Amino acid sequence: MSGIFRGKFALIAKIIFLGITTAIMALLTEHAFAQKQFVIGSFILVATLALNIVYLTKISIPFKFFLPGILFFFAFVIAPIFFTVQMSGYKYQTGNYLDKPAALEQVLILGAQPDAAGTTFDINVGKTPSNEYAILVSDITNNKYFISTKTQRTDVPKASLKFDANGVAIAAPNFTPISAIDLAKNDAYSKINYKYEGKYYIAIEGQNSGGVFRQELSYDAKTGVLTNTATGATYVDNHRGNFAKVGSPSEILNPGWRAPIWFENYSRLFSDPKIRIPLIRVFTWTFFFAGFTVLSTFGLGLLLAMALNRAMRGRRVYRSILILPYAMPSVMSILIWAGMFDSDFGAVNSILHTSVHWFQNPMLARGVVLLVNLWLGFPYFYLICSGSLQAIPNELMEAAAIDGANPRQVFRKITLPLLLQILSPLLIASFAFNFNNFNLIYLLTGGGPTQTLNGEIAGSTDILISYTYKIAFGNPNLQDFGLASAISVLIFLIVASISMYGLRRSKVMETFV
Amino acid sequence: MQKKRFGFASVIAATALVVSGLLVPSAHASNEIIVWADETRGPHLTKLIAAKGDWVPGYTIKIVTFSSYSALGDALAKATGTSGPDIFVGGNDWVVASAKTGKLAPVTLTASQKAQFTGGQLYDLSYGGKLYGVPLDINNVGMIYNTKLVPNAPKTFGDMVDFYKANKTKLGLKNGLCVTGGGLSWGGLSVFSALGADPYIMTPHGKVQTTYRFNPNVFGANMNKYLLDPVTHKSNGFWASSNTTCNDDFYTGKVPYSIIGNWEWQNYVDRGFAMNLQPVPSVTGGYGKMFGSVSGAFLTSYAALHGTAVGAKSLLVNLFASTAGQVAYEAIEGRPPAAKGAQSDPGVSDAQKGFGAAAALSSIPQIGVILGSNAGGSNYWDSSADYWTQTLINGKDAVVEARKLSKIWNADLAAVASQL
Repeated sequence: MSGIFRGKFALIAKIIFLGITTAIMALLTEHAFAQKQFVIGSFILVATLALNIVYLTKISIPFKFFLPGILFFFAFVIAPIFFTVQMSGYKYQTGNYLDKPAALEQVLILGAQPDAAGTTFDINVGKTPSNEYAILVSDITNNKYFISTKTQRTDVPKASLKFDANGVAIAAPNFTPISAIDLAKNDAYSKINYKYEGKYYIAIEGQNSGGVFRQELSYDAKTGVLTNTATGATYVDNHRGNFAKVGSPSEILNPGWRAPIWFENYSRLFSDPKIRIPLIRVFTWTFFFAGFTVLSTFGLGLLLAMALNRAMRGRRVYRSILILPYAMPSVMSILIWAGMFDSDFGAVNSILHTSVHWFQNPMLARGVVLLVNLWLGFPYFYLICSGSLQAIPNELMEAAAIDGANPRQVFRKITLPLLLQILSPLLIASFAFNFNNFNLIYLLTGGGPTQTLNGEIAGSTDILISYTYKIAFGNPNLQDFGLASAISVLIFLIVASISMYGLRRSKVMETFV
Repeated sequence: MQKKRFGFASVIAATALVVSGLLVPSAHASNEIIVWADETRGPHLTKLIAAKGDWVPGYTIKIVTFSSYSALGDALAKATGTSGPDIFVGGNDWVVASAKTGKLAPVTLTASQKAQFTGGQLYDLSYGGKLYGVPLDINNVGMIYNTKLVPNAPKTFGDMVDFYKANKTKLGLKNGLCVTGGGLSWGGLSVFSALGADPYIMTPHGKVQTTYRFNPNVFGANMNKYLLDPVTHKSNGFWASSNTTCNDDFYTGKVPYSIIGNWEWQNYVDRGFAMNLQPVPSVTGGYGKMFGSVSGAFLTSYAALHGTAVGAKSLLVNLFASTAGQVAYEAIEGRPPAAKGAQSDPGVSDAQKGFGAAAALSSIPQIGVILGSNAGGSNYWDSSADYWTQTLINGKDAVVEARKLSKIWNADLAAVASQL
């Protein structure tokens, strides 16, 4: 068996595998650099080199095993954390997605204003004898025809023109039309502003139409000031991702750009009542939800584990049944529960002969969330407790019994402390997991009910992660990735602290063992 | 040994070169116009382009279909200059966010092209005074009634409620009205409006009347009179907003009236349903307003980066905004076309014309910047849905809740008045 990992076969396999991997990564590097994603491109490039060096040489045998894991760790753990922390210091929301040069380009495009009448002309694109792009313009309303280039407009007598069936000029002296097929191959002609009258120019608006515009916004790169030439208003960088009108800073130009605002997203968490008040409520509920879930699932799991820890008929069958909720995909279970609590056709109302709207009342919805999570979570603790109970030496219980302890005292003084000693890290891990139990909330209640008429922004069952999701992706007109990142960092710090505590408890366990 | 290692490296480099040659995707051709659409429009557009592909001389058209409307929205949100489309087809509610984020490019239509559309339709696809797309088809609701149950067209909202109450037992009616098309907020506007609450209204000149405020006392009183039970203060059964099987009940003759979207009409036709179509009558005898919004084909700012801006603009005009294009497309899609020329074309079905007529009778533009405004603590979509929940389901005081609703809508409208 080990023969296939050695010799020519292994060598060929290694070359092919490395070759394919290198090819794919080289391609990704090229794409990343082409899209100006220099950090990502550099990372993939370094990873490609590292893979080839490690697997082509004997520089380090352990690294042959560790390197893929290390690379994935950096790509999918470290990088997202770094990116989230970075974005939490930015104004990064609807209207502020682009970088500054791209935003400025768009602002200038939007600064081209049509003339008051919204004049458009039928045009044909061609070239002058000096090989310059030109348009043959038919102003049919005013019975005027002219050829325009970037710098010059020349009126053409009607008699010298040829027309199509709609009265549009298609040929003129000193004008060589370009076919639509040829125009489609090169769009250089479409980027030219063709001379019209005064400050107005004609811009290409289709293969055969042009509109009259004037560039009202002009940008001075030296001073960084945008000026509206029509009104005289000036706009400057407000250092918050937008050009704002001088003297009236609330008037901003869209689109804006991602701009660093340092700790403002964090300070908003505490200073802005529209964020602070729902956040405190969500934060409190998240802790209660995670804490109650851990206690209830552990309690029920332990109870069942103790009940089935003694010999009884059909124990295997019972054990199998109890594991079923755990074996079933949680997504399916959650959706089934959601259907069961439906007010109209749900099984719960049908059995109880009621018409309760379970998901419209905040307290009932929270109760349903806790109940469903108990259903989903107790088999895990049942399994863990079953194993742990069997690991506790029977002699301890027997000795206690001989000393006169009743079963309740044995459980309280011996079984439970020993179990908690063993299971503390798992309880903490479960708390951390439920703290971020997005699937349950999203699929069961969607975070609701939200009593928006009473000014609620977050739903009654929203936990921090689902609330963050709503801020980031909920309303397309009001997405705020910067704020969502700040909350994510807060969640990360909480979960990391809990996990650190869990790790320390693990060391306690090792000491105990 | 050194030679051998270089040999390995050479072989790997050669393999890499060969494989990367196979993997390199074809570049975005500058004469290929990429159009993104959702799971229903995409296949229809593909069919249309397969039948006639020369809408823009010199350009080919590639339709990219997404698995759902939300998948299309997600893809657009993530689109970059390299990956984004030249045109996408979507609802007008995407205009504000897309324009604000620089994903859209302005479009200039000629006077004759503009004349094909109403001012409201063009307003729907505009933001900050710029038009970003061309209206393709009308998204509106209409109220259908089961003519086997209801002999005469209702003239007022009260007629419908009276019919329900009088025939509830006799005909075994479960409810009186379903709002199937567009949900509680979008489809439910007709009911709000019929009872006296509008988030905004338009002036005869097609502008938003920014000083308008609905009267919560009148609206709340109408709620009590027509929709709420005097004892429980919850739904009196005429409209049970929580009935998720209401449409099935309508099909089986247990509900006489239903507000449906124009895209759903064919389902009823296919079932051989006996029905008539009209807007929701108001309490005073007129009609409740509905969102007569349009879907559009939008020009992206990516088209300029791809070198296809002229082709894309021409495609908007030649196909999506033209009578010929809309008639051909809507023959497959089945929605009422937006262009006036297409609406009167013999190729357009009676149902499409009926919904178009209903929209003309009683519709307001769906103005995303007002409806998405959050200045009052919530936007139209969330607050309107919550009103129905709090009154019809939770039994809260209709007038008190209406005052809260009015406060939110007023603040939302006032905050964006300067942008209208």
